[in-house]
Amino acid sequence: MLVLCLYIARDAPNSIRAVANLAEICKRHLHGRFKLEIVDVLKSPLRALKDGILVTPSLLRVSPSPGAKIVGDLSDRANVLQALGIKE
Amino acid sequence: MSAAPGRILRLVKGGPERDALESGQVDAVLDRASGTAFLLPEAERALSSSSGEPANRLLAALPRLDYQRVRAELELEHLTSGQVLYEPGARIRHVYFPNDAVVSLLVVVEHKALEVTLVGREGMVGIPLALGTELAPIRALVQGTGSAMRMKAASFREELERCIPLQREIYRYAYAKLLQARQTAACNRFHQVQQRLARWLLLTDDRVRGNRVHLTHEFLADMLGVRRVGVTNAATKLQRRGLIEYHRGDIHILDRRRLEAAACSCYRRGEALAG
Repeated sequence: MLVLCLYIARDAPNSIRAVANLAEICKRHLHGRFKLEIVDVLKSPLRALKDGILVTPSLLRVSPSPGAKIVGDLSDRANVLQALGIKE
Repeated sequence: MSAAPGRILRLVKGGPERDALESGQVDAVLDRASGTAFLLPEAERALSSSSGEPANRLLAALPRLDYQRVRAELELEHLTSGQVLYEPGARIRHVYFPNDAVVSLLVVVEHKALEVTLVGREGMVGIPLALGTELAPIRALVQGTGSAMRMKAASFREELERCIPLQREIYRYAYAKLLQARQTAACNRFHQVQQRLARWLLLTDDRVRGNRVHLTHEFLADMLGVRRVGVTNAATKLQRRGLIEYHRGDIHILDRRRLEAAACSCYRRGEALAG
């Protein structure tokens, strides 16, 4: 099971785009086989720092290990899929 | 809380974080020393406007009390590039007021689609409903990922009946769109592909405002109703003149003033009407 955590800053533009882009990727490629947690760093900055996050939006692959981090609005779908280890 | 650019650059020294920052894809930066998150100025502006002033200009033009009532009927919706909101002949279930999403309206003729107009934060998708038609005459295709405020068709009709300022804004916008369509019809008939491509890129850029739009030659050819090679030639010429940069479908405007000069007069005339 793929476990993901997306770090965003409320409804800021890049964060909205990252959520929409990730939703599309999950719908097209993951078919329900994933768990996703969304963390708002404006509410939980310490949690994000503890997870090694420096900027938002960032997507963390928590499991399977080793973990992977993708930074930005996730608009480069091929790059996101590759970093998550998903075949297109 | 926002931070000065220098401070942000000190916090993000390198790596993928710095790359994302430099390409405008970062909203907030975390500071280990203070244990807080700093918003970048653009994110700060967007968040302060989402809590008060609406980003969509039609909604922003409503008096505060009217807007507050209309707001109760609106829901925030994330739109993704490639998503189809309406197909020709289908019943319109929602109208959309884009915040930073951009939607193309396309006429479909024998399986080929020709773009007639773009809708961004200045407008609304679902005008036929305001003019008494429940069926979509065109295809509405999301071209730039972003957010929009969505309202159910029934609620929109009710609001339109009781809210005169909303009526005024919608009719003014519908009339501007009618004039713009006439202009486009003439433009398609009389102007060169290069001028039309320049106009189209400017119109897109006006609506996208910092959002990225991925445009293949094939897509642009469909939008302009010409062959792909025509678009390639026109884009190459604009690139050689240093007006745009075109790399694997990503278009950046390098010199807006000169691109405006390269576009046909329909750009300025159309924008004056739409304003």
